[in-house]
Amino acid sequence: MHNDRPDLYICTDHLLVYSIKHMTPSVCEGDMMDDSQKHRILMVSDFFYPNFGGVENHIYYLSQCLLKLGHKVVVATHAYGNRSGVRYMTGGLKVYYIPWSPFVMQNTLPTFYGLLPIIRTILIRERITVVHGHQAFSTFCHEALMHARTMGYKVVFTDHSLYGFADVGSIHMNKVLQFTLADVSQAICVSHTSKENTVLRSGLPPEKVFVVPNAVDTAIFKPAVDRPSGSEIVIVVISRLVYRKGVDLLVEVIPEVCRLHPNVRFIIGGDGPKRVRLEEMREKHSLQDRVEMLGAVQHVQVRSVLISGHIFLNSSLTEAFCIAILEAASCGLLTVSTRVGGVPEVLPDEMIVLAEPDPGDMVHAIQKAISMLPKIDPQAMHNRMRELYNWHDVAKRTEIVYDRAFKCSNQNLLERLSRYLFCGAWAGKLFFLVMIVGFLLWQLLELWQPADDIEEVPDFTLPCSCDEEMLEKNSVK
Amino acid sequence: MVIFSISNARYTYVHDQKYPSKDVDIHHIVSRRSNAKYLVYATALLVLACALYLYVLKGKSISFVYYSLLFDIFLVKLLLGKPVKKESVVIMPAFGVQLETHYVSGKVIRYFVPIDNILKPVLIECVTPVTCYWTLSLIIRGESEMVLVFKNLRPPVKMLVHVWKALCAATDSKEETCTHAE
Repeated sequence: MHNDRPDLYICTDHLLVYSIKHMTPSVCEGDMMDDSQKHRILMVSDFFYPNFGGVENHIYYLSQCLLKLGHKVVVATHAYGNRSGVRYMTGGLKVYYIPWSPFVMQNTLPTFYGLLPIIRTILIRERITVVHGHQAFSTFCHEALMHARTMGYKVVFTDHSLYGFADVGSIHMNKVLQFTLADVSQAICVSHTSKENTVLRSGLPPEKVFVVPNAVDTAIFKPAVDRPSGSEIVIVVISRLVYRKGVDLLVEVIPEVCRLHPNVRFIIGGDGPKRVRLEEMREKHSLQDRVEMLGAVQHVQVRSVLISGHIFLNSSLTEAFCIAILEAASCGLLTVSTRVGGVPEVLPDEMIVLAEPDPGDMVHAIQKAISMLPKIDPQAMHNRMRELYNWHDVAKRTEIVYDRAFKCSNQNLLERLSRYLFCGAWAGKLFFLVMIVGFLLWQLLELWQPADDIEEVPDFTLPCSCDEEMLEKNSVK
Repeated sequence: MVIFSISNARYTYVHDQKYPSKDVDIHHIVSRRSNAKYLVYATALLVLACALYLYVLKGKSISFVYYSLLFDIFLVKLLLGKPVKKESVVIMPAFGVQLETHYVSGKVIRYFVPIDNILKPVLIECVTPVTCYWTLSLIIRGESEMVLVFKNLRPPVKMLVHVWKALCAATDSKEETCTHAE
């Protein structure tokens, strides 16, 4: 059988080979190990804990693994309620909750230059070398990247979503992305489909875009010791019940599957505006005893829901990368998913059954999955996931992207401005003007509060008492 | 008797012992604003001179002079608005800590914290929408809010560390640090 996953590795190796071929001879002669250096990374996004979601998890786990590799990581985000100021998380991960209030969907109000003073202060006091922005729909991220480029820092951007090309919102978002990424050092996408999408939307050169997938915490998502047995087959759905997640497909698929297979039961976790449609479907087809609705499921409870099922069903209409099916596969569930976005790249064929986003095709896929169930070994699937998707691997790849960003030559203001002019007939001139004013404001800040006046912060290390406790624990072991 | 002193472009830190018992520690943070003051005054005079020139020779309305005068007052108030000349911490072991704010006008505001009420002196980072800085604070027994030392001036952390260590010694707090091991 043809596996998508090995192709992903081959593509990655090919990209590396391609990169090495185009290095200058002096760099090629050097030792690759010597190129690795300790970076000081500032992660910026509107999305971070205590808010919860895929981007938040990605930033947190990536930061933790980069800290383990010896880099220093600082996160900057806006305030959440009364959580404002500086917080330290596990491993000494420092988080700046900057008191800018979110005004819509956890995004701060877009002000072109409002964040310049605080971003500049953080960059100087923490001695940051790389600024890593996350998520195209984060105004905080866009502003921080823009100002970091003005100040001459290396900038990396990770895109976590797919966007369209034709509606008003997408056109506007793509133009903003074109503006921000016109001057970015490197970009990261979570799948090849996402890379294609980002390159088309932003006009970024493809060689600047790396593919680094998401990962899953396999220590948390383990299969059940005893698999749910009996003649009953349980299909689990966990997602937000919104249009984008394809709830309308579920409304048509579930009654048909229940009719064809009397031993099938559904567990649906999640909440959202489309929940009413599912409730109506249950009432209409008298499926109250065979379709269980759990409502909102906290992330700490996701595993206990997953291990109560045999098959995981994902009906998303668009996905850059679906972490949910990673979590399900790590728990040993066979996955049925729509063939959209980056989903086909995520799992090997023996772990997933793909279908077009069409009720009839999805019913066929579920039937095929049911016939495959006896051959599934949850523990083997879990071990496979632990090898394929590991946050440490993601961190190592991201480290390579940072090293590549450092090899990019620095450019002066004129070279950067000419790049903005090419963004469009009218938009280019507007971007040009925005960058000029940003540069002038930065120079003004340099006069008002020189960089020398901003004190550098000592790096976090574990307190002495903690060190002693850890030493004692190690000696006991 | 001055024991120790640090200076930078904006502040001077002085560690002092003034009383015969030698047990009383005094820590001063003095603000230095001489250069900025002259520059602001010169700018204000320049604006006023331009306005007078326009009025006398160009026949502009007298209200222009009034507006420029108001602008000058606003400018001086804005840039030289901090009337605080010095802030001091007087550490009296076994009694308490006195926080003093000395204004340019000669007024002095004093705040005394008994030693038994001080749970812990802490150095923390404050984040505002436009900047980020260090402050030295006292955690007070029975109070929900911390007392800021050097509230009006914002001295650099290099100066605050010395005061923090003296406060820890006076309150018998261990010098625990969560930012770097010593």
